[in-house]
Amino acid sequence: MIRFENVSKRFVTPGRGDVWALRDVSLFCPPEELTCVLGPSGCGKTTLLRIAAGLETPTGGEAFVDGRAVSGPPGSIGLVSQEGDLLPWRRVVSNVALGLEIAGLGRAARERQALEAIRNLHLPPEIARSLPHELSGGMRQRVALARALCPNPRVLLLDEPFSRLDDFTRSSLQGELLELWLADRRTALFVTHSIEEAVFMADRIVVMTFGRVIRTVPVTLPRPRDRLSDAFVKVLLDVRRALAEHDRAAGPGDRLR
Amino acid sequence: MKGGGVVIRVALGAIVPAAVLVVWHFASVGSVVVPSIAAVLDVLAHPLREPPNLDATSLADGAVASIVRVALGFALAVATAVPVGLLMGRCRLVTDALAPVIAAAMVISPIAWMPVAIITFGLASPATVLHGEAAWRHGLLDELRFAIVAVVWFGAFIPIVINTAAGAKGVRESHLEAARALGASRWQLLRKIILPGAGPAIMTGLRLGGGIAWRVIIVAEIFPGTRGGLGYMITTAHEQAAYEYAFASIAVICLIGLTLDGLLRLAEARVARWQPKER
Repeated sequence: MIRFENVSKRFVTPGRGDVWALRDVSLFCPPEELTCVLGPSGCGKTTLLRIAAGLETPTGGEAFVDGRAVSGPPGSIGLVSQEGDLLPWRRVVSNVALGLEIAGLGRAARERQALEAIRNLHLPPEIARSLPHELSGGMRQRVALARALCPNPRVLLLDEPFSRLDDFTRSSLQGELLELWLADRRTALFVTHSIEEAVFMADRIVVMTFGRVIRTVPVTLPRPRDRLSDAFVKVLLDVRRALAEHDRAAGPGDRLR
Repeated sequence: MKGGGVVIRVALGAIVPAAVLVVWHFASVGSVVVPSIAAVLDVLAHPLREPPNLDATSLADGAVASIVRVALGFALAVATAVPVGLLMGRCRLVTDALAPVIAAAMVISPIAWMPVAIITFGLASPATVLHGEAAWRHGLLDELRFAIVAVVWFGAFIPIVINTAAGAKGVRESHLEAARALGASRWQLLRKIILPGAGPAIMTGLRLGGGIAWRVIIVAEIFPGTRGGLGYMITTAHEQAAYEYAFASIAVICLIGLTLDGLLRLAEARVARWQPKER
């Protein structure tokens, strides 16, 4: 599980002065649940995820992963970013095996596990020896997912992992990720700016704007979810309404940053 | 150019060398100073022959002396410049401390340091360190005069340190974070992310440094007070007006230099093969 207690984050930027990316955010991501943090660009959702990953130190408050206060990357999390950030000099198999290599596992064992992770993500085995730049964007994100899952982390942090992909690749990857996630239901925090993606994936949606959580929406629809069903569209509209209401209520000063 | 293009390119590339050979041939006819092409080829064909009237060893000995000097100086440059460059690239304080010195050092020809190197190291070599008075018996070890090696080291150090620093600085933060999220230690970040990420830039530094080292060694050997090597052979051939030895030395310098550059280019391409080709 992941817990944020009154987390604030201020960035000092030259020229623009202080920018508060997060203001007093408290949030609980229960175990065995997939929590989506949803919001527009610049709402602080990525900063929140980076704090959980230990890549960013909060200005105030504290984050906890599995009950332990986060101070630096704990090494037991799987992280996937927007661009995957595969190491371009490593072949796919050794990219996937990176976490196991860092943990000190022997070459044969880590290659075996990496190949299994590659198979689990429905990647053709022959790409194991390819370099990242030889793959399509969708394949690269699959490899990034495989790399995050390979060391079997207790917590999965996903930062808009599919936002750079075309609609077709995105929806098939959403389905695949969900299938993998349902197999072991590790605590997951999924950051996205797509309402539809959040409704399709999440057990609960945390809506953020301007560094604050404005609404938490539990999604109880049974999986697999039908994007065209009335129930799905109703949740989608609920979330959209929450965002619109907040926008109306917010003063113009709040919007300009 | 495709297909027959290769032939055309080789032919185009041969124009200037052919013209040089023609001019050289006519210049040598009836000249007492300019050696004939045949005389130079004769020297090249007998690399082990001791030059009869010169205070120098054979062409092959000279080449070996120059090569081992460059090898040692270059190896020392790699061993020092890569760690310093990595530190500079990753640590602002180190950059601030060293950048002015390196900027100043960059504009000084390494050869300008020759007198400093000679008064610092004198005639010292691995042979004098190991064997003292009997150093002269240990030919090759004694050729590795520290003064000359130091100047080669200096010449190669600068491009390697600059390129390594740029490469280390250019390592993407997101790559470091991907490894940090997986629990990498500082040492693992250096080994698994920074070093390979900076690899192509380091190899560019090595190629440039190798080229400079090879150019520097020849001039260092021409410098008064030094002995041995291809540069020294040029000096002594000039003094005795035995120019066929000078010309032969230049040919060997060119051959070794091209080989060195080719090998370093291969290594560079190998290290950089993960980079997608620009189109």
